[in-house]
Amino acid sequence: MTACNRSEKQPLGSAEVYSTIPAGNHAVAPPGASPRDDGNWVMPGKDYAATRFSGLNQITPANVDKLALSFTFSTATTHGYEAPPLVVNGTMYLITPFPNYLYALDLTKAGAPIKWVFKPKPLAASQGVACCDTVNRGAVFDAGKIFFNTLDGQTIAVDAKSGQQVWRTQLGDIQKGETITMAPLVAGGKVLVGNAGGEMGVRGWIAALDEDSGKLTWRAFNTGPDKEVLIGSRFKPFYAMDRGKDLGVKTWPPEAWKIGGGTVWGWVSYDPETNLIYYGVGNPGPWNPDQRPGDNKWTTGVFARDLNNGEAVWFYQTTPHDLFDHDDINEIILADIPWNGARRPVMFRPARAGFFYVQDRRTGQVLSAAPFGYVNGYRGVDLETGRMIPNHDKDPKEGRVVRDICPAAPGAKDWNPSAFSPLTGLVYIPHNNLCMDFGAMEANYISGTPYVGADVKMYAGPGGNRGAFTAWDPIHQKKVWEIPEDLPVWSPALVTAGGVAFYGTMDGWFKAVDARNGKQLWQFKAGSGIIGQPISYRGPDGRQYIAVVAGVGGWAGAIVSGKMDPGDPTGALGFANAVKDLPMKTTAGGMLYVFTLPR
Amino acid sequence: MSSRFPANALLIGLAAAALLSCDREERHSRSKPVGETVPAATSPDTIWPGGTMPQAPDPRAKVYDNNAPAISEGQFLYTRMNCVGCHSHGGGGMGPALIDDEWRYGGRIDQIASSIAEGRPNGMPSWRSKLTDDQIWKLAAYVRSMSGQPSKDAVNSRSESMSATTPATLMRRAPAHTSDTPDQ
Amino acid sequence: MRIRAGAPILAVSVLLGGCTYQHYQSTFSDAAVEVRQFNILFVIFLVICTIMYVLVLAFLVAGIVRRRRAGIANVIEDGRHHQSDPLMRTGLVVWGALVGTGLIGLAIASFSADRSMASAASRPRLSITLTANQWWWDITYNSADSSKTIRTANELHLPVGVPVRILLNSNDVIHSFWVPSLAGKQDLIPGRQNDITLVPQKVGVYRGQCAEYCGAQHAKMALVVDVDSYGDFLGWWEHQLQPAPTPAAPLAKMGYTYVTAGPCSACHAVSGTPASAIVGPDLTHFASRRSIAAGVMPMSEGNLYGWVADPQSLKPGNHMPTIGLEPDQLHAVVAYLETLK
Repeated sequence: MTACNRSEKQPLGSAEVYSTIPAGNHAVAPPGASPRDDGNWVMPGKDYAATRFSGLNQITPANVDKLALSFTFSTATTHGYEAPPLVVNGTMYLITPFPNYLYALDLTKAGAPIKWVFKPKPLAASQGVACCDTVNRGAVFDAGKIFFNTLDGQTIAVDAKSGQQVWRTQLGDIQKGETITMAPLVAGGKVLVGNAGGEMGVRGWIAALDEDSGKLTWRAFNTGPDKEVLIGSRFKPFYAMDRGKDLGVKTWPPEAWKIGGGTVWGWVSYDPETNLIYYGVGNPGPWNPDQRPGDNKWTTGVFARDLNNGEAVWFYQTTPHDLFDHDDINEIILADIPWNGARRPVMFRPARAGFFYVQDRRTGQVLSAAPFGYVNGYRGVDLETGRMIPNHDKDPKEGRVVRDICPAAPGAKDWNPSAFSPLTGLVYIPHNNLCMDFGAMEANYISGTPYVGADVKMYAGPGGNRGAFTAWDPIHQKKVWEIPEDLPVWSPALVTAGGVAFYGTMDGWFKAVDARNGKQLWQFKAGSGIIGQPISYRGPDGRQYIAVVAGVGGWAGAIVSGKMDPGDPTGALGFANAVKDLPMKTTAGGMLYVFTLPR
Repeated sequence: MSSRFPANALLIGLAAAALLSCDREERHSRSKPVGETVPAATSPDTIWPGGTMPQAPDPRAKVYDNNAPAISEGQFLYTRMNCVGCHSHGGGGMGPALIDDEWRYGGRIDQIASSIAEGRPNGMPSWRSKLTDDQIWKLAAYVRSMSGQPSKDAVNSRSESMSATTPATLMRRAPAHTSDTPDQ
Repeated sequence: MRIRAGAPILAVSVLLGGCTYQHYQSTFSDAAVEVRQFNILFVIFLVICTIMYVLVLAFLVAGIVRRRRAGIANVIEDGRHHQSDPLMRTGLVVWGALVGTGLIGLAIASFSADRSMASAASRPRLSITLTANQWWWDITYNSADSSKTIRTANELHLPVGVPVRILLNSNDVIHSFWVPSLAGKQDLIPGRQNDITLVPQKVGVYRGQCAEYCGAQHAKMALVVDVDSYGDFLGWWEHQLQPAPTPAAPLAKMGYTYVTAGPCSACHAVSGTPASAIVGPDLTHFASRRSIAAGVMPMSEGNLYGWVADPQSLKPGNHMPTIGLEPDQLHAVVAYLETLK
């Protein structure tokens, strides 16, 4: 491993500027999917294009250093807090990790008192089948209701005013190892939900429930025969490698697709103009690739489906026969970019595999895929065939340990989403710099127990910093500026029209940086590490507020939230080794912090 | 007859006696049926209101606790039955750590066997219907060896996976005491 | 370059093979290219070395006999050691030539045998992964089309005349793959992948066994190798791809529930059911195999009862526990297992 001398390099926490922001003609958000900011925050991605961009501009680089705490609230939970607060017309909604309490706070009154609490009471045993802390990635507001998922596989709709349950639908089965951790997407009268459990030998799916009744409208699996994957006549994958009949069966050993993973635990985006939803698919199971020869469709790829009936329109497989648990579930930011004199509708995907994909969202064609972190597990993406070019030196082998694979299993970036500013045209990527040793072995399938087959040990990548916050120019495919961080940056990003980007570190620093050059402008030390989505909203008093919940955990912080012993480097699927100093840097928590400028 | 004869005979006799009484190596491969002999829910150390009758320790504890083939078979089962998926090599993950000295549900071998057989709230699955009680006790014996509890001449000297924690033969003993942390 | 062996050499080999009463586990068989070539080489070595041995003995006897005859003075005392005995000299030259020729012959024979074995195996058309466990063989037939791979245990089926490359892995300790009628030994070493390539030549059933001490049940780790005609082999492969049908008979149905939901499914897989564990042998076509538990007993209903009821008494120390089934559970499980043809 390269053990660089830190003192020679950029000091941690301060930005290194690589190039200038492109002037003029740059990427913008599609107006259909990204309407004007009304001061609310109704879905985790801010809008259907997943920009996580706030149109509010009271807080600017000039005054952000005066940002002060307005009020706090303890969520009474101490597991990883990954969700954003929602704000709808003067009420703030918070969904906690297990036991998935839903709080409504009244922002019109001083101190934001509790309006109501909804306690779904999920099964306690579901904590035993949640691979990476008992997190929840967020709730959604639509048509007077709050929609969210519980760890034991239910989707629940609650009346936003009264806190009464409207409907509850059981979708997942913990006996099979299924949980649900993702934030649903609500569009066109449908609630889109996907399962989690790729490490537990589940079969992955995405389902649409009717918004008013909760009844299941359609469910598409991500492995298995075409009929169950909802692949029909409309399906037109761009690349030959994704074309064929029943590939969800043919690219697996017999029966292996039934326990082959392919879950949907990350983000879903939606384009109202084409009525298509876009989502990424998780890893194939088990992690040991020798047990599942073949391309393992339709895992670790991106689907475009029709919102109304779920039929597949196109698919692109990012890592066929995935070797390193590089789930493809990261956020899909919809944007329009200048292309040969016209506007081309694309999607931006900073993927686990370490490449920043720019793909045409009508067809799935890859326009560019440049690495945004250090990658040696692959040689690159062949733009002709669309296929990832493997580096066979890094192939896992049963019974042996392969060392120095980069990026590590959480990838160059995991689930925590980046933000896109249509004003600067840059994507603000909070991500990791980790490599790993991977010891593959036979995995035994027993339903309801892990189905992994790998001993993993992760550590810092080249440079010695375990994380970074990068501003990326998606059109010129390069870094504009980057802030190296000691710990992996596991929090999502927020960027505002005022020109300030926000993110949190795993040891609790909530930071505001200049969106143009990365200069740190303000920071606040929270009581616990931050892995939750920061948001910005307009309060009832007309002022711009910044809110985030600090509660370390998730896969990266399990060593703290799960009270693990750092003496075993393979703990938490290898993350324990990467952050064994974390228990000395922060403790578990679940506190909401809301900031604003003083009057 | 050499004058050394009585001394040699004595030494040989002592050695034979020592080896013959070595329970450490005795293999127990056959067991009683599932469900008949798995220990009833043995409570972790808690308050017994009004006091309680003295309870004899479970006789199987002696049979399995410092038994080398049992610990070895327990290591085989620990990986194959996916204990490693939740507890890693003792550091924990989805489940609590097993190499430390905190035990939510008790760290005696019969308490561990009970946890494995019955399952526990907050996610430990119940293995009663899937493993024989002999296998469960062997797993419990191995789990104890992860925190260095059994005698060092009975524990496994090598793991069969990536080298992770200190080998059991070098692990400093972390005597089990029950944690009082509620809820979690 | 193949050694075109004349009938005599083969005849000697077969005669030697006839010394054993069976051909299914004998290094003197001619059931595979490798073994056949090896046996030819063996016979050549035997013949040449026997001739040399006989000659040496003859000279030894001659020397002893000559010495006994009186009148032959000591050469050195006599001073005649400077003179060379023409007979002796010729004899020495002839002997040297004989030895040289013999050695060169052996070298050529050895090289040729090795090359012909290698060339027969140079383009394998079938790939099998054999993983040794304590104390059974886990067999996967590989295929470029991954949906056509099959997993079975303890019984290898090979097509006659087709070079097959067997990749050898071990999950725990060192084992050794040895089917004497078909090939020599090759170790299976944990953490390393070995391979062996062989070309079966005769249809038949052969027996192999583990040839490296691997623990208490090393002696009960046999391997059955069934060499079929190519058509039969493909038929067998197609059959292995079929999942196990759900039984209709009530007793077998009870057994199905027990096997797929009870302790059996913690270690065994039956394709077509939720049981997908890989700790123990795949049972999908278990009843069509010739033996139980890697050669412990031949497959039969009575033996199945014995095995399922108490595997520890038949193969003590192996990883399958004695569960202690109730009698009706035992009947149900065996009834179900028998449907897994």
